[in-house]
Amino acid sequence: MNAIETHDLTRNYDSLCAVDHLSLSVNNEIFGLLGPNGSGKTTTVLMLTTLLRPTAGTATVCGYDIVREGEKVRQQLSYVPQDMAVDIKLTGRENVLLFAHLYGIVNPKDKTDEVLSIMELSDRADDLIRTYSGGMRRRLELAQALVHEPAVLFLDEPTIGLDVAARKKIWEHIGTLRKNGMTIFVTTHYMDEADQYCDRVGIVSNGRVVALGQPSSLKSQLMTDVITAKISGPFVPLEVEGIQFVGQKDDEITFTAENGKEALPRIAQSLTENGIQVRSLSLREPTLDDVFLHAVGKQEEPHHFNDQQFRTMLRRRK
Amino acid sequence: MNGIWYYMERDMIKWFRGRIGVVTLLVMPAAWLIFVGLALPVTFTGNYLDFITPGILVMTMLASSMQGGALLMFDKILGFLNKFLALPTPRESILFGKILFITIRGVIQSTIILLVAILIGATILSPIQYGTIFLILILFGILLSGLATTLALYVGDHDSYAAVNTMISMPLFFTSSALMPYSVMPPWLRAIASVNPLSFAIDAIRSVGTGVVPFLQIGILIVLGIVVIALCIRVFRGMTV
Repeated sequence: MNAIETHDLTRNYDSLCAVDHLSLSVNNEIFGLLGPNGSGKTTTVLMLTTLLRPTAGTATVCGYDIVREGEKVRQQLSYVPQDMAVDIKLTGRENVLLFAHLYGIVNPKDKTDEVLSIMELSDRADDLIRTYSGGMRRRLELAQALVHEPAVLFLDEPTIGLDVAARKKIWEHIGTLRKNGMTIFVTTHYMDEADQYCDRVGIVSNGRVVALGQPSSLKSQLMTDVITAKISGPFVPLEVEGIQFVGQKDDEITFTAENGKEALPRIAQSLTENGIQVRSLSLREPTLDDVFLHAVGKQEEPHHFNDQQFRTMLRRRK
Repeated sequence: MNGIWYYMERDMIKWFRGRIGVVTLLVMPAAWLIFVGLALPVTFTGNYLDFITPGILVMTMLASSMQGGALLMFDKILGFLNKFLALPTPRESILFGKILFITIRGVIQSTIILLVAILIGATILSPIQYGTIFLILILFGILLSGLATTLALYVGDHDSYAAVNTMISMPLFFTSSALMPYSVMPPWLRAIASVNPLSFAIDAIRSVGTGVVPFLQIGILIVLGIVVIALCIRVFRGMTV
């Protein structure tokens, strides 16, 4: 039995389809759901944590149906939402103790001490949250989530707004939990973090999974080298043997080729022949960003911004 | 059951640590008691303070409940509600925890107002009378805090709720029997005041003061309370999946 299993999971906000027939299996791993803002990541998490009803499709968490067996699902999971919600007028210990009590833990005080020390907050446990930094608040939220030893942990953008050191720390903690057998479902739009720390990633665009697999295998599916050209003026697609056009982002054009070093001069030549002025050329190994760009195509707003629809979506989501 | 207690405890600690909030809600009812209760020249009663005290107690409860209504809405806006809803704790305990907290807070504040009233010359009643008065206040608090919490959830943002709050509180107070007896009211006001839920509570407390146990009003408050709680649960469930 997989920890998370979804089948054609779909959610519409009026005419906007936020999650579109999503089918995933996640088990005992760090699974990263990647995608741009508004691609349906949070909506997916809200459905899996029983905070939002799916329009169609089914999903189970630890074998329990998210619609029919909500309370059993909630006993298996912990959820840390995107907006940091910790009571600033309470101390770190009180914040965690509240959750320990609400979960009905047998010895709440000991368990609270334990998770606070795991999250390296013991020495500040009796200070008001008002005095905590962003990274500490995030770790405190993790402590709250861990206090009942969930089978599945949902983290929505766990590192948003944190500095480099704090991010690294959060990911190290997540890695330790994974080693102890927890299934972790993370959403993020930081491709580099997902590349480094996730066992498997799913890239979503407009509510659909467009790429799924280990970061390394997704990258190797692309040809080995990535060439980026900065140009002035409009770009006309060109045909050069052995070189593939991947995408365009502002004045940056990305190609892939099996042998980057050989491809470099040929691209330069071809661009110049087509009357395009090349400002710079660079060569590198592919990253998840390239996988993303390749899967999603030219990065743009999915369709013109619909204010009314957006408001409806926000309202429903809260 | 346990969940209700812990949700209440959370709000209670936050309230006490807020300090300023503990005092500010008491200023208005205390001012009414002193500046109106002691100063207004009325002819229908010899002790206006005794007459107005029940009204001010109910007003304290009203202000506390209306202000408390915003608490759940803020939990929702700030993301706490989603965290709580994802817990295995029965979801209704969130709502009941709020109602319990707001009611307890209202009772604490009414007690202080009652002490102020006694201090400046209100007649002292028997313990049984005070017990009945607090029973009425608690019933009224449950009724109002449920109503305010649901209303705030329904309205959704704090600016609109503050506007609704202002719109409701003062008219409700002035059209009740808080400031004058029915006998001196103009007929149109008497008609409104006699169906105002505030009047039920005020009249009940007043008759306790004269030695009568107001079974009818207590009954009405209980029935209204049950209806409102049922309505709250419905709205709360509708808003939270």
